[in-house]
Amino acid sequence: MTEDKPPRKEESAGLMKYSAENLVPFGPIHPALKEPEYFKLVLEGEKIVEVIPRIGYVHRGLEKAAESRPWVQNMYMFERTCGICSFVHSLTYGQAVEGLTIYEIPRRAKFIRTIIAELERIHSHLLWVGLMGHWAGFETLFMWVWRDREVVLDLVEAISGNRIHKSMNAFCGVRRDMPEGMEDRIVERMKFLVDRANYYKGIVDTEETMLERTEDIGRVSAETAEKLCAVGPMARYVGLRRDIRLNDPYAAYDEVPFDIVTSKEGDVHALLKLRLDEMIVAANMVSYAVKHLPEGPIRIKIPPVIPAGEHSSHSEAPRGEIFYYVKSSGGRTPDRVKSRQPTMANLPTALEILKGQTIADVPVVLTAIDPCFGCMDRMSFLDIESNRQWTWSGEELRRYGINYYFPERMKMR
Amino acid sequence: MPRRRAGAAIPEMFRTMLEKPSTRAYPYQKVELPARFRGKLDIDPERCTGCQVCAMVCPAGVITMIDIGTRKVGDKELPVKRPVFELSTCIFCGECVDNCAFKALEMTKQFELATPHKEDLTMRKALTK
Amino acid sequence: MSEVLLQQIERLAADAKTKSTQLHKGETMIEIEQSQLKNFITRLVNQIKIRHLSTITGLDLGQNIGIIYHFWRDRNTIHLKTFVPKTKPTTVSIVDIIPGAILYEMEIHDMLGVMFVGNPWMDKKLLLPDNWPDDLPPPLLKNVKPADIRKRLGLEVEKK
Ligand code: SF4
Ligand code: SF4
Repeated sequence: MTEDKPPRKEESAGLMKYSAENLVPFGPIHPALKEPEYFKLVLEGEKIVEVIPRIGYVHRGLEKAAESRPWVQNMYMFERTCGICSFVHSLTYGQAVEGLTIYEIPRRAKFIRTIIAELERIHSHLLWVGLMGHWAGFETLFMWVWRDREVVLDLVEAISGNRIHKSMNAFCGVRRDMPEGMEDRIVERMKFLVDRANYYKGIVDTEETMLERTEDIGRVSAETAEKLCAVGPMARYVGLRRDIRLNDPYAAYDEVPFDIVTSKEGDVHALLKLRLDEMIVAANMVSYAVKHLPEGPIRIKIPPVIPAGEHSSHSEAPRGEIFYYVKSSGGRTPDRVKSRQPTMANLPTALEILKGQTIADVPVVLTAIDPCFGCMDRMSFLDIESNRQWTWSGEELRRYGINYYFPERMKMR
Repeated sequence: MPRRRAGAAIPEMFRTMLEKPSTRAYPYQKVELPARFRGKLDIDPERCTGCQVCAMVCPAGVITMIDIGTRKVGDKELPVKRPVFELSTCIFCGECVDNCAFKALEMTKQFELATPHKEDLTMRKALTK
Repeated sequence: MSEVLLQQIERLAADAKTKSTQLHKGETMIEIEQSQLKNFITRLVNQIKIRHLSTITGLDLGQNIGIIYHFWRDRNTIHLKTFVPKTKPTTVSIVDIIPGAILYEMEIHDMLGVMFVGNPWMDKKLLLPDNWPDDLPPPLLKNVKPADIRKRLGLEVEKK
């Protein structure tokens, strides 16, 4: 359907007189969007030629707010940056602050941090695979995957007391120990998840519905991704070995054996398999860490005043690199906290990928980077030459569509 | 690589049809909550001494201290305070519970907190003593 | 590996007439003149092959605005700090060397009012609302109070 056809200017009943360059607003408020973001898509026919992002609709001024709050309270605030990968935010902020103090983090706390961070990765990846099924029109996959995601959430709830906002981190340690007698249950559940992930890998490899929508879509070259500073799965699916867990280990990642997954294919289908593979790796890491959990204290209490200095920390969230920079002037509140989320880093790459795609692939490609956006229903046309704007009614649009793809049917009328 | 075909998921579909439903008939069937579940905050007015630590550590500004009288320490009159909790802004972090040296606070398993009246979520229990 | 890298960076810093200080283990801070910045980053990317820019941080330092470029490779983090005076907050854009920096520069432009010459999207807003008045100072400066902004934008709600 989408092979290149020249626009038939004369045949289109006078609706498209000028060069077919259109501007489609995408967002910010949209039934299918989960977060309010706005993209201006400049189209040529069905192909996207330029994308201009506009974010910040839910900008709450966290960095400014952090300047007036005590160090510990900021940890809870930054944990609420994201409703999916919350733990890793408090972990990275905590690490950045811990670097300014003289205290060592107990080894057991490091392991517990690793366990929670990996459980969170499994949960986030499952959520993403489900959404991918949803946008690709494979609703069954969405249902199954989200059912299996409950397994992880139940584990997280049993360990931390809450499903999403774990509030597990403290400076130089964690607040809660692992519950007694959870080991067997975690290992057993992880085995179940590995089985499920293997099954889903089979499904996405054979099921026509999935392949149609994901294969050969969202390609980008490794050089471009590197230049645009892509992070996380977006860097790994084109073959870059960029994973902070491996490159610059934090928590207990230097003690838990694992290998990162990369892919060479570089399309959305590869991204799907990569995230499922990463899930399997994460599940194995959790099993290992639970079995080899060292004894010892879980926390060192530190004074509320953090010594002056500046420090940065980064870690690998499910979506990619999270970066925190803190500057202290030796007081009870920070001087400056900078936080950068992976979606911000991946946005330039996503915009690059979108160029040259058809408009029907926008939801799939935008979901691929994992901020989750939907398709569009409102269309307003900006005619670039005459600067004239008009809107089409549904009937006109339908006629134009039929005319475009099946001109012979129009002639029969 | 296996052959691509439509409907690769159909066998699993039949299998899941025979299984028990994954969802629960909430609210008729209650969920069993884990031991560590963090629900609505509760205070034991007997134990609270009004030390203000909870108000200082709360990241969400839930707790305000209210004067309920005075007491004599040496020859000085010091105010006696008790916390009031605006639970509608509580983020269930449990920091206040961890920091209360007198073990006056605890997190209950209550999570059905929706109410048409915002005042219902203000906990003035500690003031009554 | 790491030693070699540090030596290379030190040599680069010496060429740019500055020196590198070790902040913490694996973290190097280099304060650099604005005029040397582009040259330095070009050599960092092409010669030492440190290609990944984590982000750019803007800081209000009183007289100046500090801009820190955070690079990393393996276990080494390099912070490149330059200063722009508040009276004339203009600096060079590095988008032509690292295209991924475009959104970070826009963010600092929004939040601290620094102009990046050479960034093609400098005229657009990224984070601030479209109805942000031009005469309001950038919000992340230290002397700007959130309450004042809320008042100006008509968002002030009465405290109970
Ligand atoms: S609840 Fe605990 S921490 Fe809060 S004032 Fe009472 S005794 Fe102090
Ligand atoms: S649980 Fe957290 S947010 Fe709620 S009152 Fe206690 S400290 Fe405040």
